[in-house]
Amino acid sequence: MVILLAIAFLSLGYRLVDLQVLQHEELLKQAERNTHQTLLLQPRRGEIRDRFGNVLASTVFVKTVYADPTLIAPYQTEVARTLSPWLELNESNLVEKLQVQTFVDENGKSKPDRYVVLKHKVLLETWEKIQTAMKALTFGLDEKRLGAKDRAFLRNLRNFAIRVEPYDDQLRVYPNRTLAAHVLGFTTGTDRQTILGKVRDLGGVEGIESTMNAALSGVPGWRMTEVVKARELVTFRDQEVEPHSGRHVILTIDAGLQHIVESELAEVMQKHSPVSASAIVVRPKTGEILALGNLPTFDPNRPGDSPPAARRNRVITDVAEPGSTFKIVAVSGALNEGLVTPETRFDCETGRFSFAGKILRDDHPSGILSVDEIIAKSSNIGTAKIAIQMGPARLYEYIQRYGFGSRTGIPLGGEVDGLVYPPKKWSKLSISRIPIGQGIAITPLQITMAMSAIANGGSLMQPLLADRVEDDQGRVVAQYSPQQVRQVISASTARQMVAALKNVVSTNGTARRAKLDHYSVAGKTGTGQKPGNGGYLPGKYFSSFVGFFPADNPELCVSVFLDEPKLPTYYGGLTAAPAFRSIAERAAKYLAIQPDLPPAETLGVNKAGRLLTASASRP
Amino acid sequence: MFEASLTHRETRIEWPMWGCILGLMLIGTAFIYSATSVYETASLWQRFREMPVKGFARWLIHQFYSKQVLAYGLGLTAAAAFCLFDYRKLARWSLVVYWLCILTLMAVLIPGLGSEIHGARRWIDLGFFNLQPSEFAKLAFVLIQANFLSRPADELHQPQIFLKSLGLMLLPFVLILKEPDLGSALVLLPVGLVMMFVAGVPLTYLRRLLGAVGVLVGLILVDILFAPPNWRIPLEEYQRDRLLVYFGQDFAPRNATPAERQRALKRQREKTYNIEQALISVGSGGITGKGWRQGTQNTLGYLPRGVAHNDFIFSVIAEERGFLGSATVIALYTVILFTGIKIAGQARDRLGKLMAIGIVTMLFSHVFINIGMNIRIMPVTGIPLPLLSYGGTSVLCSLVAAGILQSIYMYRRSY
Repeated sequence: MVILLAIAFLSLGYRLVDLQVLQHEELLKQAERNTHQTLLLQPRRGEIRDRFGNVLASTVFVKTVYADPTLIAPYQTEVARTLSPWLELNESNLVEKLQVQTFVDENGKSKPDRYVVLKHKVLLETWEKIQTAMKALTFGLDEKRLGAKDRAFLRNLRNFAIRVEPYDDQLRVYPNRTLAAHVLGFTTGTDRQTILGKVRDLGGVEGIESTMNAALSGVPGWRMTEVVKARELVTFRDQEVEPHSGRHVILTIDAGLQHIVESELAEVMQKHSPVSASAIVVRPKTGEILALGNLPTFDPNRPGDSPPAARRNRVITDVAEPGSTFKIVAVSGALNEGLVTPETRFDCETGRFSFAGKILRDDHPSGILSVDEIIAKSSNIGTAKIAIQMGPARLYEYIQRYGFGSRTGIPLGGEVDGLVYPPKKWSKLSISRIPIGQGIAITPLQITMAMSAIANGGSLMQPLLADRVEDDQGRVVAQYSPQQVRQVISASTARQMVAALKNVVSTNGTARRAKLDHYSVAGKTGTGQKPGNGGYLPGKYFSSFVGFFPADNPELCVSVFLDEPKLPTYYGGLTAAPAFRSIAERAAKYLAIQPDLPPAETLGVNKAGRLLTASASRP
Repeated sequence: MFEASLTHRETRIEWPMWGCILGLMLIGTAFIYSATSVYETASLWQRFREMPVKGFARWLIHQFYSKQVLAYGLGLTAAAAFCLFDYRKLARWSLVVYWLCILTLMAVLIPGLGSEIHGARRWIDLGFFNLQPSEFAKLAFVLIQANFLSRPADELHQPQIFLKSLGLMLLPFVLILKEPDLGSALVLLPVGLVMMFVAGVPLTYLRRLLGAVGVLVGLILVDILFAPPNWRIPLEEYQRDRLLVYFGQDFAPRNATPAERQRALKRQREKTYNIEQALISVGSGGITGKGWRQGTQNTLGYLPRGVAHNDFIFSVIAEERGFLGSATVIALYTVILFTGIKIAGQARDRLGKLMAIGIVTMLFSHVFINIGMNIRIMPVTGIPLPLLSYGGTSVLCSLVAAGILQSIYMYRRSY
C-alpha cells in the first residue's frame, strides 16, 4: 500500500519535474505567446523620382470602408445617396449592399451580417468627407422630438454604421500614369506569412519597383504589448520599434525627355503602325539612361488592365536581327586592328557578291567604295569583305567587346543576352552575314550602348538607371557612379567612326531624314529582316536608327526601333530616322544643348570637308 | 498509570496531519483569491475602508474565497464533531447515511430538485450552497463498505457476500454515472477494490472483478477510439471528447468529408484548449513560479476562469509558485495520506482499519486524478482537489474524512 502510494506520488513528481524544469522554457514561451501580441508596423514604401526630383511613383495610405447594415435599416436609400458620390459607386448597388443579409454560423444559428465591405483603397481625405457627410444625416427628423431609443439609433447610425478597418493599406500611385511605365514597373500586394502572422506586403513585380524593392520597401517595425484577449494593455507595452520608411530611389530618367520620347513614339505608332516602337535616350559619356520608352505601354496604376505584351520592356527582353546598324562592329573592329583605313577601297561588285555559294546583294549597287563610303551607303558587300579580311575570330572578339551576347547590366528584370554564337558554330556563310547584322540577335539596348561607346571615344559604359538612393531626410544613402565596361576601340578609331557615321546622316547617306538643323549627327540606320519558318518572313522588318549628337562632342545618343512597320515604308532611314530627328530636336531644345553648326552651314553641309567632298563627288 | 494515560491522550491528536490540512487550507484560500479576484481594482483593505461595514460584509460573503473559508470553518467544526464521535457508533449509522445519500442522489436526477449546470445534474440548490451529493455518497460508501466488510473474514469467502459488497458499490456508481459524472463514479472503483482487498476478500474474486473491469474499460476505449460511429456505445459526447483528447486522437473520423473534418478539428481545438493552457500554466511556472497573482495564464484568463478556481487550481498554484509550490502541495498530501495509512495500521479493529484505508484511497484517488489531469497524465474529469479546489461539499467531505481518520486514531486504545 505504502509502496503503491509512493510510486504514484513519485510519478506525479516526475511529471512535475518534467514540465516545470525540463519543458519550462518551451511552455514559458507558449505562455508569453498567449499574452504578448506583436503588431507589425508597416513601413511606407519609398518614392521613385526622376533626376530632378519629380515624383514618378509614390505611396498613399488608404482605408477599407465597410458598413454595418443592421445599424442602417430602414434608411438604406438615404445612406446610399450620401455615400455614392464619395465612394464612386452606383447608388442602387449600394442600396443592395446595405440591406441586412443573414448568414448561418457554425452553430446553425442565423445571424445578421454586420460586416459588408463597401470599398477598398479609399483615400484618407475621402474617408474624412464620408464621416462628415454621415454625421450630417438627419433624415428630415426633428431630433428633439425623438425618444431616447430613436436618438440612440440615430447616433449609432451616424457614428458607427459606416466604418473603416483599423489598419491602413498602402496604395502605390503613379501620378504620371503610363510615363516611364516600363522603367518603373509596378507593385502588387501579396499576403506574406511571417512569424507575426499574415502581413500584406506591397512588393515590386517589375521594373525598378522590383529590382530596387529592398531599398524601396523599408524595414517594418513592431510593437509588442501584453494583451488580454485581443485588447491591448497600453501600460504593458514592452517594445515599440518604429518602422523605417522605404528609401527613395532617384533615377537618371528625365521625366521631360521621357515625355518627349513617349509622345514621339505615339506619333510613330500612328504613322507606321508597327507592332511596337521603342526608343532609348542615353548620355554617352556616362551611360545614364535619360529616357526609355516602349509602345504599347501600360498604366502601372492598373497593370492588370493591359495585356502582358504591353508590359514587356521590349528594349531589354526582345531580341531582333539588327541589320545594318550592326555594321559599326565589323568596320570599327577592322579600323581598330589597323586592317583598313577610312580610305581603304573595296570592290562592291556592283551589288552582287557571290560568297559561299550564295549571292549577297546591295540595295544601292556600287562599284569601288572606301570604308567611309561603305558605311555611308550601308553596303552589305563592302562590310562583308571587311569582315572577311578580319576573320571570324577577330570579328567575334569585337562583337563580344561591344557587349553583344551578354547582358548590359541595366537594373531592370527580364534582360536577355541575345543570340551570339562563337565562330566554331558558324557556317561558311556566317562571316559575310553576321557583320551586316544577320544571323545574330541582339537587344535594342545593346546596340544603343555600343553606339554610345563609339560616341564616347570607344569606351563602353554600363547603362545607368538609378542615380542614387536617398532616405527620408534627403540624405544620400547610395550613389551610383558611371561605370566603364571596357575600352572597345581606341579613341582615334572612335573618331574615325564618328566621321564615317556623320556621313550616314549627310544628304547622300541612308539617314538624311535624321539630319538636325543646328547639330551634327552621327548614326546608323538598320533594317533587319525577321526570321521565321526557316527563312526570312517577307514584308516583316525590324527598322531602327541609332545616332548621337552633337557628333564630335556627343550629349545624347538616341535610338529608335520599330518592329514590323507597315509597308511600303519600312527602311530604318524612312521610319526610324525621322522619329530620331523629332526626338532629338525636341530634346536639344528641352536640354538647351549648345548647337555645333553655325546657322550658315545648316543647309545640309557638313564641316568635315573631306567627307563632304567624298559624298559630294558622288551624285 | 494515570500519568501514562494522560500523556497518551496528548498524543492522540495527529498534529502533523492537522498541520498539513491547515497548510492546504491556507494555500487554498490564497489561490482561490488569486484565481477569482482578477478584476479587482481595489485591495481588500481599501474596500474595507471605503465601503460601509455592512456593505463590505455583504460583498465579502459573495466572494469565492470567503465562501471557501466558511466551508473550511464548517468543515472543521464537522471534523471536530466526528473526532469526538466514536467511529464505531458512526459505523452503526452507516446504513442510514448510505440510503440517505442514495436518496439524495436520486433526488438530484429529478428535474425540479437537481440544478443543472452545463448539462449535468450534480447539485441540489440550497440557496447559499449548491450541495453535491455525490461527494457525500463517496464517503457514505466508504462507511458502509467498511461496516459491511468488517464481518469475520471467513464470511468474505462466500460469493453472495462478495456480490452484496459489489452491489453496495454499484448502486451509487450507477446513480452518479446517471448525473452524469463519470469521474466521481469511477473513484468508487479503486476505493471499493482496495477495501475488499484489505478486508481479505479472496483474491480470485478480486482478480475476476479486476479482469472484468479491465476488459470492460478496454472494450469501451477501443470502441470510442476506433469503432465506426454506429457501433459506439452511447457515451456522453463530452466524455468521448475528453478521452479522445487524452489519447491524442483525431476528432475527425477517417472517412470524414473536409467540412466535417474542419468542424471536428475546431471542436478538438476547443476541447483541448483547457488542458493545453493548464500544461502551459504548470510548465511556465518553472522552479519558483511567477509570483502570487502574477501568473499570466491565470490572471489574464488563458486558463479558463470557469475552472481555474476549482478543477484547475493546481495549475494556478504551479504557475504562480512553480515547482516548489506544487511539490509543497504534494508533500502536504503525502503527509496526510501516510498518516492515514499509519492510522489504518494502528487501528484496533478491522472496521477502523477498513475505514481508514477507504478514506485514504478516496483522498488519494482525488489527489492523483486531479493533479494528474492538470499535468496531463489523466484524462479530464470533474474531480476536485481535496481542500484546495473551490467547492463547499468537497471541502466538507474532505474535512469530515480527516475527522473520521482522527476518530479512528483517537479511539484505537479506548477499549
